[in-house]
Amino acid sequence: MSDKQIQWSVGVLGTLGVATVILLHWMVFFWVPTESSMGIVQRIFYIHVPAWWIAFLGFGLVGLCSAVYLWLGDERLDRAAVAGAEAGMVFTTIGLLTGPLWGRVAWGTWWEWEPRLTLALILWFIYLGYFLVRRSTANPEQGKRFAAVIGIIGVLDIPLIHVSVTWLRSLHPQAVILSAENPMNLESSMGVTIGVGLLAFSLVFASLFLARYAVAGYERELDLRDATLAGT
Amino acid sequence: MRTYVTLVWAVTRKDLLVEFRTYERLTAMGAFAVLVGVLFNFSIDTAVVRPQDIAAALIWMTIIFGGMLGMGRTFRLEEEDGALAGILQSPIPLHALYLGKVLGNFILLSVMATLVFFVFGLFFSLSFSGNPVILVAIVGLGVLGFVSLTTLFSAMATRSSMGESLLPVLVFPLLVPVLVYGATATQRLFAGRPVVEVGGNLRMLAAFAIIFTVAGAGLFRFVIEE
Amino acid sequence: MSFGLEAVGLVRTFGGLRAVDGVSFQLQPGELLTVFGPNGAGKTTLLRMLAGVMRPNSGHVRVAGAPADVASRDWRHRVGIVSHQSLLYGQLTTEENLRFYGRLFRLDDLKTRIPERLASMGLSDRTRTPVRELSRGLKQRVALARALLHDPEVVLLDEPYTGLDPHASAVLREQLTSLKDGRRTVVLVTHNLKQGLELSDRVAIQVQGRFSSVTDSASLDLAELEALYQAAVENPA
Repeated sequence: MSDKQIQWSVGVLGTLGVATVILLHWMVFFWVPTESSMGIVQRIFYIHVPAWWIAFLGFGLVGLCSAVYLWLGDERLDRAAVAGAEAGMVFTTIGLLTGPLWGRVAWGTWWEWEPRLTLALILWFIYLGYFLVRRSTANPEQGKRFAAVIGIIGVLDIPLIHVSVTWLRSLHPQAVILSAENPMNLESSMGVTIGVGLLAFSLVFASLFLARYAVAGYERELDLRDATLAGT
Repeated sequence: MRTYVTLVWAVTRKDLLVEFRTYERLTAMGAFAVLVGVLFNFSIDTAVVRPQDIAAALIWMTIIFGGMLGMGRTFRLEEEDGALAGILQSPIPLHALYLGKVLGNFILLSVMATLVFFVFGLFFSLSFSGNPVILVAIVGLGVLGFVSLTTLFSAMATRSSMGESLLPVLVFPLLVPVLVYGATATQRLFAGRPVVEVGGNLRMLAAFAIIFTVAGAGLFRFVIEE
Repeated sequence: MSFGLEAVGLVRTFGGLRAVDGVSFQLQPGELLTVFGPNGAGKTTLLRMLAGVMRPNSGHVRVAGAPADVASRDWRHRVGIVSHQSLLYGQLTTEENLRFYGRLFRLDDLKTRIPERLASMGLSDRTRTPVRELSRGLKQRVALARALLHDPEVVLLDEPYTGLDPHASAVLREQLTSLKDGRRTVVLVTHNLKQGLELSDRVAIQVQGRFSSVTDSASLDLAELEALYQAAVENPA
């Protein structure tokens, strides 16, 4: 895609995304009915859960781009991976911040080793490792390759971590918890709201992704220019 | 095939030979194991907590933290006089180099794990009569999974400016399944539960070990090549 | 008749820096090429690519006519390398080091080969000495023994004279002269203009990643080489 196309896309997706987020908030606060078993606090669910899905999607994207990057060596795939990682990190952080907020009210505690929250915390650290390793090498190409390896290992490990953490949790008798694990009484309007949440965050993710991808491209140009100047 | 195994073993043998000249890594890991056992004793109020209840958890944590001490130095040997270039220039396939390193680390860490069990068993009167063979299998598979990941990542850590301090940050989140399945199985065996209850754990540990040894072998060349 | 060693358009960049910027040459079997150049000219990078330890961004290498790329392993027994680092394990003895590398190079007859190689280099009485107890000069000799153990057709030497006292230098010079047996193709990187010229059949000067000239050394004396070197360094092509 050309520069102009990217800028245009970022602008459009970003605006659409922000608009949908505003719509989402309106729906969450004013439109969707209160869920019977949990009350008002359940509304954070519409922001929290889509954030999760996007966070994991982001990591899946990182894994995929990393694998193909190592295979084909095309530098653009690495840019896509890092863009996906940063955007995914944003949503993971959102999820980690909103989760305890909900938890405080729903469970009475700020933190619970509930499988999704636990997995998200671990995912956050894997993302962190991705970024640390990228910057830690003298040779930037090597850093990109290392990060790609982390992306792939992470993607392989996450299902295993998920299974292990869920299994561990299932061993303990549950405290009286009104949590997302209990089936909620979902009405169709709630399904719609979740759908809107997913759409909103997807749009925002896409615009962040494209913007970061473009910036990565400029960074690379700058690096090349710096190096040629240093050479003369 | 026989040549491949010979190549892998040549690397392992060399690593072990060097280690047995200096005992550098084993000393570090061994001292850590004993000292943690000692400190653990001082951190427990036996009127309130029974050490036997948390011994399994602490054993695994000690193996992982102590193991990290030894694993971080996996490629340090090759750095000192540039031996890595000598190996890379040779005909050995890079996955064979990786497997040789993994095997060497596995042996060293198994020695350390045995010491940890011994020390904790001694200090806290633990009983291993439950089912020693299964316990060995559990620990062995857990250690293999740990070593396969850590060896891959220590190659990265050696070449990065952050060095070995980066290694725990990268590896610990990824080791969660090993800890979950390994520690709970150990706890059950200590509590005398029937072996059938840890069958699932064994399978998951085996899956983890296989997946990451294969992935490590495949990805190693991206980490070691310049 | 294939060349002993051939480089075609080798390029290697790090980020945006072109460490090697299009180097090509062909060496007949038995020729010795000496590469001179200032620090940072990319000589070590070039050698690493020739050894198959570093992947070129473009271009390729051929050893005895066969492609020598980083991914494949089957041509590597044809090449031996000596670096300014010893590539040895200090805690192991001379013999143990050679045995390890001998196994990597899939040599079967190590029981006879190692003592022979050590004897030919005057190292027999150091067989059981841990390498870290050896002087710099002796270590380099063991390093050369390691490089030659598998009898390679191509030998690459990266500043082997570094840190050697005059006696050790002389010994090394002798060893390198014996490499010129008409069969082995050698590339020698060195700062030592005199020694480098003496041994060479051809001489190249590398500046900023490129060969500024490749000359037959038969037609050069030391003074001319010095002048050529100065000119190349002051006016990179």
